[in-house]
Amino acid sequence: MAAHDAPYIFLALIAPFLAAAIAPLLTRALGHWAALPLALVPAGIFAFFCRALPDVQGGQALTGGYLWVPSFNVSYSWLIDGLSLPFVLLISGICALILLYSGGYLKGHPQQGRFFSFILMFMGSMLGVVVSDSFLMLFIYWELTSITSFLLIGFDHSREASRRAAIQALVVTGGGGLALLGGLLLVWNITGVSTISLLIEYAPALKASPYYFAALLLILGGAFTKSAQFPFHFWLPNAMEAPTPVSAYLHSATMVKAGVFLLMRLQPALGDTPAWETILPVFGGVTLLAGTVIGLRQTDLKLMLAYTTVASLGLLVMMTGFGTPHALESAALYLIAHALFKGTLFMVAGAIDHEAGTRDITRLGGLWRAMPLTFAAAMLAALSMGGLPPFLGFLAKEEVYEALVGTNPRALAFTLAAVIGNGLMFALAFAVALKPFVGPQRDLPGPHHGAASVAPPSALPGISHSRGENGKAHGHHIHEAPPLMLTGPVVLALAGLAAGIFSQAFHATFSSPMTSAIAHEAREITISAVPHLSLPFALSLVTIALGVVVYFLLDRAREAAAASLEAIGWGPDQGFDQAMRGLIKGAHVITRKIQTGRLETYIMVVFIVIAATLLLPMAIFAEWPSLPVWPAEAGIHELVIFAIAVIGLFAVVRAADRLTAIVSLGIQGFAVALIYMLYGAPDLAFTQFMVETLSVVILALVMTRLDLQPSDHRHGREMVKDALIALACGAGFTLLLLRAVQVPFNTSLTEFFSQWSKIVAHGSNVVNVIIVDFRGTDTLGEIAVVTITGLVILALIRIRVGGDVKPADNDPERSA
Amino acid sequence: MTAETLIASLQLSLPELVLAVGALILLMIGVFSGDKSVGTVTGLSVLLLIAVGALVVFKGVDGTAYAGAYRSDAFVRFMKLLALAGSIVALVLAIGHRRSEPDMRFEYPVLMVLATLGMMLMISANDIISLYLSLELQSLALYVVAAINRDSVKSTEAGLKYFVLGALSSGMLLYGMSLVYGFTGQTGFSEIAAALTAEHRSLGLVFGLVFVLAGIAFKISAVPFHMWTPDVYEGAPTPVTAFFSAAPKVAAMAILIHLVAVAFKPIVHDWQQILVFISIASMALGAFAAIGQTNIKRLMAYSSIGHMGYALVGIAAGNQEGISGVLLYLAIYSVMSLGAFACILAMRLKDGRAVEGTDDLAGLSKTNPVMALVLTLLMFSLAGIPPLAGFFAKYFVFMAAIKANLLTLAILGVLSSVVGCYYYLRIVKVMWFDDAKQEFSRPAGELKLIYGLSGLFVIGYLLIGGPLGAAAEAAARSFY
Repeated sequence: MAAHDAPYIFLALIAPFLAAAIAPLLTRALGHWAALPLALVPAGIFAFFCRALPDVQGGQALTGGYLWVPSFNVSYSWLIDGLSLPFVLLISGICALILLYSGGYLKGHPQQGRFFSFILMFMGSMLGVVVSDSFLMLFIYWELTSITSFLLIGFDHSREASRRAAIQALVVTGGGGLALLGGLLLVWNITGVSTISLLIEYAPALKASPYYFAALLLILGGAFTKSAQFPFHFWLPNAMEAPTPVSAYLHSATMVKAGVFLLMRLQPALGDTPAWETILPVFGGVTLLAGTVIGLRQTDLKLMLAYTTVASLGLLVMMTGFGTPHALESAALYLIAHALFKGTLFMVAGAIDHEAGTRDITRLGGLWRAMPLTFAAAMLAALSMGGLPPFLGFLAKEEVYEALVGTNPRALAFTLAAVIGNGLMFALAFAVALKPFVGPQRDLPGPHHGAASVAPPSALPGISHSRGENGKAHGHHIHEAPPLMLTGPVVLALAGLAAGIFSQAFHATFSSPMTSAIAHEAREITISAVPHLSLPFALSLVTIALGVVVYFLLDRAREAAAASLEAIGWGPDQGFDQAMRGLIKGAHVITRKIQTGRLETYIMVVFIVIAATLLLPMAIFAEWPSLPVWPAEAGIHELVIFAIAVIGLFAVVRAADRLTAIVSLGIQGFAVALIYMLYGAPDLAFTQFMVETLSVVILALVMTRLDLQPSDHRHGREMVKDALIALACGAGFTLLLLRAVQVPFNTSLTEFFSQWSKIVAHGSNVVNVIIVDFRGTDTLGEIAVVTITGLVILALIRIRVGGDVKPADNDPERSA
Repeated sequence: MTAETLIASLQLSLPELVLAVGALILLMIGVFSGDKSVGTVTGLSVLLLIAVGALVVFKGVDGTAYAGAYRSDAFVRFMKLLALAGSIVALVLAIGHRRSEPDMRFEYPVLMVLATLGMMLMISANDIISLYLSLELQSLALYVVAAINRDSVKSTEAGLKYFVLGALSSGMLLYGMSLVYGFTGQTGFSEIAAALTAEHRSLGLVFGLVFVLAGIAFKISAVPFHMWTPDVYEGAPTPVTAFFSAAPKVAAMAILIHLVAVAFKPIVHDWQQILVFISIASMALGAFAAIGQTNIKRLMAYSSIGHMGYALVGIAAGNQEGISGVLLYLAIYSVMSLGAFACILAMRLKDGRAVEGTDDLAGLSKTNPVMALVLTLLMFSLAGIPPLAGFFAKYFVFMAAIKANLLTLAILGVLSSVVGCYYYLRIVKVMWFDDAKQEFSRPAGELKLIYGLSGLFVIGYLLIGGPLGAAAEAAARSFY
């Protein structure tokens, strides 16, 4: 492959979306046989990218792209190297097999065309994730995988359980995607580069940056949610609500690997720091153990596989986090091995479900006679998953132990976790691949045709279920799955075996370039399927022994796991529901508390805000006014007037009915007017007298139209609260005024009036001059307003005389 | 003021004069021919508003009048046209409503015209006195309009609440203005700016600023002065709510922009903090509180609170991009909101009863697919999903905020719009996935016209957004 291949690479990357567009039409024309032409698209992509193998083997990386949004310097650029190429081949190759498989699995389903379309779109998004070089392109494809997987998981949208699973997956992985975006933008900010290929050169600066830890946490947030690491693992088992081809594709080989891929991709840039080497192994190890233990208690084949997938992802994250040469080699090997055997086992589980009508392991048995080929594929995959020679899984597991043993004391705990985890996975592998096929044949619901129901009715783990209860079908109808459904598992299982046997060629083509790309330096993997006596091999034997023991005690182990999980009684799955419910409940609480519909509450809020805006800035900036000194010459009559004003106010507050309140307010107003008079402003005092008289009269007149019964319904506590708010506001305004007069006013007006009053208007009282001369028209306007008000009042009074109007009912309790 | 300047002033304010005289004539027509003239008065009001709009477009010149109390420039004309368009559409929306509900008296169109006059003067206000007077003219008309349905307890309660809280906010505004006047000695916006320097602003002035902003926050229903909004939106007759959701907000935003971009420009750091707080609080409350709503009018109220928060993001940015972003935001929001209310007005059962529950929309995609499609588009657009108009509205204000280094604000804004998607999409879900319980009667022609046009606008914004964006940019250039 060379530079002039760029248009073809671009075409290969968008081809799945084009195919997705025509898939429904094709399906309408060809029925389920549309799977064959459609499978040619991923197969073609697979073949096309195989041409890049020689280059990549030589340690080359293919880069290229187009400028996408020039103004933001965002490009559509790809990076195809030893890490992304195996992913590309897995994604496209398995997609072809899955399309064939779903052609058989969903035969006759009315929405099969839509299903093909979704799967192809998903594949396109996934290809985009692994080849992206630019951050933004990576993010967009990353979110596209979340959205397309949402569509796939919720494919059977008429069922509540699958809708819930779809939304859960979208919220968890989509939310993680946002965290990832934040992390990438932070990295972009720190280093100034926005492509992965350039980032590695800036790794030292990045790791030294004070924002390194924040960026790391955000990126891990994205990777951990996508790769279902504890405690975000819960969406993956729930996603088993999807039709089996989806589980086989998304939840074994592709989507859940995106997180691991990202970690491997960024390992040279972000890895090799204490934070990285602590967080990743710890979360990975916990996920490994949690996944296997929860997997043990399941009875549904798909759920067992789902939890082992969680566990395997944990193992991968753990090994990537270790970062030693062997650890990275083991991660690369295990990743490919896992994609092959887990894909097979999911498809086998689907085939069993399709033919036998149930996936409940406690009800299945003796199927080997009816389904020999399926059984063979299942066994091949289980041997690889269990880690027996000469399968690829064996190589991966040996490499894991090789990496863990004797490196440092810290690794001891992880070694233990790996042994236990692998042992339990061994047991689960054979529980899935062996239990349904051996033993006595049971009475089973039998095959379901017309595939109207594509997903299991079992929404809850551990609850046994059945389907096709109409009694028409029974065990003797069970036969081998159709050829379309057999191709996938058989091919994948054989690939796992071949990779193990021809391990040197496999290493040279795939695992060595992959490890080199992850570690960003040339690496050579040599491990072969020939057992050699060493400590890792001893650990392998221990693992297998543990697995065999658990397999034979599976029922008891299941009970023990169930009992201990029930003892805990809470998991992140419930936590998700609680968080969602909490959001809605919180919204209700907010509206209930703030939006009571009572005007009193609203006004209270406004006054609280006023008090806060008055008092808080003064408190924060320590801008308190200096308190005025009580004037020494204040006479007794002034004190009395002040006292009358205060008493008047108190009477307003305590007044039981409105009339008393109005009159008391008048008292206070007159007292203030008296103060004006005493301090040399008789005109102002006169105005105040007028206003007070008028307002008392007008308000009293209005009151004659209203119910005058006492209407204060507040309780003691409410009164105290209101009093406090009122005092706070009052204090705030007082302090503000004091503060305001202590800072220099703009004196231009004062100067103007004192300078010109005498000269222009021949008056020595500035206030008088302002009212009568400078603002004479304003005064005229005021008089006019007062006159009009008087006229209106007159009109109101005359209505009162003429009409027979009942006083308004203003009892809040009654009207409520 | 000499005769020449007076005549020049009168010429500059011709649109307002025509509107004022026209409103009085309409009032006379209504008074002398009684309630049977409602149709005539409504029609004439629409014509009057259109004529005034034409005057604004064709006779608009830049300048100031009445000794600097009144101003006209590209920004003012943009906002006036927006307010006029909002009022015209709200009047048209009321036509069908009047046929089935008896609560629409001839005073209604007259009050709308008077409120619009207040808005035009608000937009043109160039000193704090003319600002306050025009604001009160508009508010008094709106208080009455909110309670226009006197026989409905809900409507009168809404009007009373609006009035009491509005009076409180006017008091705060006035108090703040007197502080500003006391500490600068000026009433004109540009004179205030000249008297202010960022270094030597006094504490009293900052308090004045806070009170002025609080008073205006009430008018645009921003948190924490939003409490009236849901109750008034729910209680007022639906055409009135539709009116409230567009034009008055445009006018209030115009005075806010005038104040912060002209009068308080030197103390940008003081008001920026306040606006950032108000904006974040509004966006968050709008997003979270709306989740629990089942009445679609209340839901639109919370949505408007949130949207005003987004618009404030642009003002808080304090740059030219921010202002032009806000103008676009207001234009796009007005269209979306009026379109949504046209759909809400079309929610009328066969027996003539109007319904307002979100559940009543169940199965709309089967009973009235066109309306369901339009409402879906509008909801997607309100949620800010590309490539609809609502996305661009948000995009421009957030870009302005990022340019002004208000990253926190932009991030919180994006997050709350993600939460906001929840309730917009829920309505879409109800329409398309739930089973229909009832069928609406056929919507009136003018409703179909308006929601159809707004649906076309949000989907076609990509194609027609250029001239609108250019106009907003030209308008924003008035300040820089």
